Amino acid sequence: MQSRIVLFTLMFTSLVVISNITLVFLNESRIDVYISLSILAYYVSHALSRPSTTYKPVRILNIALFVLFAVIVAYRVYEVFIS
Amino acid sequence: MTPQLFIFGLNIIVISLFLALYGLMSGVNSLIGVASSLGVLGGVFIVYSRIPRDPTITALVNYSKILLESTTSIIEDLDLLDSNLCIVRKGNELLAVYSKIPCPIQVDPGVGFTGGSPYLAIPIEIPLVEGFEATGTVDQATLERMLRTIIVDELGMARELGLTITGNTYHVYIHGLIEVLKDYSKYPVDPYVIVTAAIIAYTTSASSIRVVEKTTTPDGVVIALRAGEIAE
Repeated sequence: MQSRIVLFTLMFTSLVVISNITLVFLNESRIDVYISLSILAYYVSHALSRPSTTYKPVRILNIALFVLFAVIVAYRVYEVFIS
Repeated sequence: MTPQLFIFGLNIIVISLFLALYGLMSGVNSLIGVASSLGVLGGVFIVYSRIPRDPTITALVNYSKILLESTTSIIEDLDLLDSNLCIVRKGNELLAVYSKIPCPIQVDPGVGFTGGSPYLAIPIEIPLVEGFEATGTVDQATLERMLRTIIVDELGMARELGLTITGNTYHVYIHGLIEVLKDYSKYPVDPYVIVTAAIIAYTTSASSIRVVEKTTTPDGVVIALRAGEIAE
């Protein structure tokens, strides 16, 4: 279990750093893009390393991040419809 | 809890707060974006730092051994060492029943006497099944996936698992047992047998699942279970 958490930490950090550097170089100024890519990086790292799904705080975190991601996507879709 | 990961996460959040503040003051949105992203990173690390680390697991292992030996003493005193193990459904509860008669249904949690035999009935709570539906079906692929998800992926009790179904008999092949639970599998209250039988009983909604045979292989265990037998 501990090695899976270490692997998850390394993967998640790497993905967040790579995505942030890429977005900064692309001069991206929309804050929600940074957050949504971090959330995606979390789910990708979680799916690949599977550190834990048994602990309640981790489950609550998964749900909270999913809800946040859904809100961001819904807001952007709403903006597209409005324009 | 992992203090290092907690402090690391906290540090990242502090850095992200300062970065967000600087981004707000200088009006650079990308800095605020990076700060938000770092905030997510730090928050995740703080949550994951709460997962118990290995020394806690060691304490749990020692405590489990104490409970296991006391349960084994009770089984010995009741002369149930060579008894049948059956998972019996009683209302919404599943009971692991050790008894000389197979699958008695007139049992209550604890120690008792039924059908001319003493019994020990242990209430079973299956970990992690709330995410799965008790369909009552016996589709082999679905049941095998559920067993593998809980036993291998979530609980990490083994490396691999296979299932075959013949009529109302289930053969479960479990390979790559983890060291600490491998020792426990020598006791009458075997975690592999109990968890496997309980998951099958829950999923198939069977009134009873009897453990017919348990065979130890060099790298694992093969458990044969039969559904639906009830002692009158």
